[in-house]
Amino acid sequence: MADLGRPAVVNIWASWCHPCRSEAPLLNAAHDQFGDRVAFIGIDVQDNQADAKEFIAEFGLDIPHYFDRNRAVPNHYGVIGTPGTLFFDEEGVLVGTHLGVIDERALALGIDELLGG
Amino acid sequence: MEFTLLWAALTGLGGLWLGSRLVEEVAFDDLLSASIAGLAGGRVVEMLSQGLNPLTNPMDLLIVRGGVDTTAATVVALLTLYLVSGRAISRLDAAAPVAMFGLAGWHLGCLWRGACLGTASNLPWAWSEPGSVISRHPVEIYAALGFLAAAWLVSRLPGHPGARAGAGLALAAAIRLATEPIRLSIGGGPVPEYMIGLGIGIAVGVIAFSRGRPGHTAAPLPRSGP
Repeated sequence: MADLGRPAVVNIWASWCHPCRSEAPLLNAAHDQFGDRVAFIGIDVQDNQADAKEFIAEFGLDIPHYFDRNRAVPNHYGVIGTPGTLFFDEEGVLVGTHLGVIDERALALGIDELLGG
Repeated sequence: MEFTLLWAALTGLGGLWLGSRLVEEVAFDDLLSASIAGLAGGRVVEMLSQGLNPLTNPMDLLIVRGGVDTTAATVVALLTLYLVSGRAISRLDAAAPVAMFGLAGWHLGCLWRGACLGTASNLPWAWSEPGSVISRHPVEIYAALGFLAAAWLVSRLPGHPGARAGAGLALAAAIRLATEPIRLSIGGGPVPEYMIGLGIGIAVGVIAFSRGRPGHTAAPLPRSGP
């Protein structure tokens, strides 16, 4: 994460996850607004790649995604369930974890914290 | 269902219930129906704006954390209240201060879901997120206090039909407009919609007062005592 050189928001999702469908448009909007200052990364977990690609196309999720069949990333960071959102500072240190569906206020606050207010 | 959001919603309902006890002539059931209808209507519109079809994704209606369109929720709630309470303007007038209590409760519910804070601030009462060094405006607390003051003010207005309803709408929009600049959001808040609500509320209030004849006489909030 530190190699990115900027703060990052990592969203853990899956195509079978209903709440993730509600979250996807918000992440897209956040990427549009803050994408030049914050990296947005998707981690698709316990999924099949065909469904995942369909999900990405459906919502036009224009951020890099990584396939994580065994939930290695969320397990490493203690994220239980799907979805979840992780906030990393520009040195790659995990500074915030949101379990469950993230709403606009929580996402905006997490990003504002990353950007130093 | 995330319990923090549930607690916030229950705090809002608590505000409605308290308001319905303090201000006479308002049926809590009517307000509850309007709140639920408003929430559902706002969620449907938000889903449509996000490109989600409510018919093919009905379970997503329950994921209110995914977003609720404030304007649609307000319109649907007001229409529902008007319909279920006998299509009488006087009922909307009586409901206005109670709805303010409910909105105050909803904003106070930020305490349960950890979502009270807005933009950074150096004011002495600013708070910080746990583990953060950035102090911030407790913007949702400001809004809650604003709605409590609005409830008191609206309940004190003379009973011209439509005056309290108009003033309530105008004050609700004004409180949201005033707090929006220090509220964190993605893509900006619905400022134009709040301005329209403010305009409609002021227009309704002015028309009601200009017609001159006090009609409805809902009891004002008690000053003190048991």
